[in-house]
Amino acid sequence: MGDPRGTHPHDTRSAPEAASGAAPAGEIASGARSTDLAQTPDTLTPDTLASPAASGNGASPEARGARRQASKDGPRATRSRLPGLAGRIVAYVLVWGWTAFTIASIVWVALSSLKSKREVLRSGLALPAEAKWENYSTAWNVGKLGEYFPNSIVLVVISVIVILAVSAPAAYVLSRARFRGRETLTNLFVIGMAIPIPMLFIPIFSILAALRLTDSLTGVSFVFVAISIPFTVYLLTGFFASLPSELESAAVLDGCSDYQVFRHVMLPMAMPGLATAAILNFIWLWNEYQISLVLLNSPENRTLPLGLYALQNAMQYTNNWPGLFAGVTIIIVPTILVYAVLSERMISGMTMGAVK
Amino acid sequence: MIRKRLIVLFLTPAALLYGVFFLLPTLFTFYFSLFDWSGFGEEMTFIGLKNYERLFSDRVFWLSFRNTLTLLFVGGFFIMGLAFLYTILINSGIWGKKFFRLVFFLPNIISVVALSAMWAYIYNPRYGALNTLLKSLGLEELGSTLWTAPENIFWAMLAALVWVFTGFFLILLMAGVDKIPPDMYEAADLAGANLWQKFRYITVPMTWDVMTISFVIWIINAIKMFEFPFAFGLLQVPQQLYTLGIYLYVMGFGKREPIYQLGYATAIGVVMLVIAFVMIVLVRRLMRRDILEY
Repeated sequence: MGDPRGTHPHDTRSAPEAASGAAPAGEIASGARSTDLAQTPDTLTPDTLASPAASGNGASPEARGARRQASKDGPRATRSRLPGLAGRIVAYVLVWGWTAFTIASIVWVALSSLKSKREVLRSGLALPAEAKWENYSTAWNVGKLGEYFPNSIVLVVISVIVILAVSAPAAYVLSRARFRGRETLTNLFVIGMAIPIPMLFIPIFSILAALRLTDSLTGVSFVFVAISIPFTVYLLTGFFASLPSELESAAVLDGCSDYQVFRHVMLPMAMPGLATAAILNFIWLWNEYQISLVLLNSPENRTLPLGLYALQNAMQYTNNWPGLFAGVTIIIVPTILVYAVLSERMISGMTMGAVK
Repeated sequence: MIRKRLIVLFLTPAALLYGVFFLLPTLFTFYFSLFDWSGFGEEMTFIGLKNYERLFSDRVFWLSFRNTLTLLFVGGFFIMGLAFLYTILINSGIWGKKFFRLVFFLPNIISVVALSAMWAYIYNPRYGALNTLLKSLGLEELGSTLWTAPENIFWAMLAALVWVFTGFFLILLMAGVDKIPPDMYEAADLAGANLWQKFRYITVPMTWDVMTISFVIWIINAIKMFEFPFAFGLLQVPQQLYTLGIYLYVMGFGKREPIYQLGYATAIGVVMLVIAFVMIVLVRRLMRRDILEY
């Protein structure tokens, strides 16, 4: 994890990502208002704009096959195919077994959130006899998730904005400026990914106590930003490093200052990377619960995961499974929605660093 | 040319936040571990390495240590094995590759607390899904197992973790396999290589770097493991589920009653960091090989 990513293969992009990557090219040209730049989009084929986040997973088998012109009868034939019908049946059974289990568990939780207490215990996977939406109002009002939801939203959204606002400039300088100690500094940023978070519990608490920020969402957001910087800087450094330098030099020749180059040329091109970082950080911080557990005491400051944890603990005594499952559904719906729309981008962002 | 002023201006905010709220606390951990310190705002007494000596004879510490290592090795074995197996299966030309990848990764975007609530229900002895299923298959005896009894709870938790993390490493390995040029397999086919030979001489060497990184990521995740077992254990986390992270939390903040052995707890943090770094260096050594050109 320690080695900063320099170059990334530029040969794998799926069509939609190529399109989203090509879009900023127009913005750059208009943003910099330069004749030189206006011509450069010619050179901005999807391949030269290849984003690191798209490497690895971006390529559909078809695109890959076409580019490499490796096989005449389609790319599938080239994979290490299992022999025979029996092999394929085994593959389907095993893969579907796992998939069915995952889907069934989640659907089952969602269904159970609409059942009555008694029904949850008896009816297994059956549909609820009648939808008991009052479970949701119980979780929302009695379980107070209605109070925690805005806490979570505000905390996470502000944290993600700050993370990007501080990480993008840092990553830009670390990847494209020349100065002494650049590699050491990059490594120092990235090494945070290897530090086990629980070891920070006590010192973080004492630092925030000194700043009078314990038991406050502001304090938690500082920590959220800090613990997200390593991965974000790492992801964005790779991203900036993969951008072509022709535009940069063209803009400099046209008299752009270094800040203008960043603001009007490089930042727009890095938008796909920023979007990936934003989505991943949103999901992680939305679900984050150890730092919040340590730092937040007052019930009114709770985030959704803490609220759900309290609900789950209370459930041991109330036996209100459907109420708990309503809470579970409330907390997972936002992430599932984001995932449903943006899974490709998230997965390629996750794998970007690992696959060179 | 990026001027010095811009470099400083661009690096300072990130460096400040990261320094004050991440690097500084990391350094403080080492410092605090040398003190007897019984509460925030209390006097700290310097006691040198006494906290570490005490760890040596602390039964619960060794239990947490063993649990963490079991998680790392046994959990890692199953997670990596399953991730590799499913990477091959999903890549074997079956229909719906992207869909399967999507579903396998799904648990990783769901709140751990939500996952633990779900698994608590799956393992519920009387009306849980697992026992209901086993009984309906006619396995009466197995279907009456108390999955969350003291002797089973760690393994029950580990099984759930395997389910979560397999999907994570699956997407890493799949990305690695996707980058293997298809003509390599073609050439192997022409040379008459069988499935095992293709796996052994193409897939494994070509995904070596991804595997190394996967191992490193797993080491970090296993050693810092806190959230899932903690939520799984509910209000009174049973000692069978203690990881180093949970024991640190318990010594620092207590369960229902505060304990506040802050110096002692930070010593556990130092141990976590040391194991993580030793393991990472070890894995990188073991996995090192000449760079493969293709």
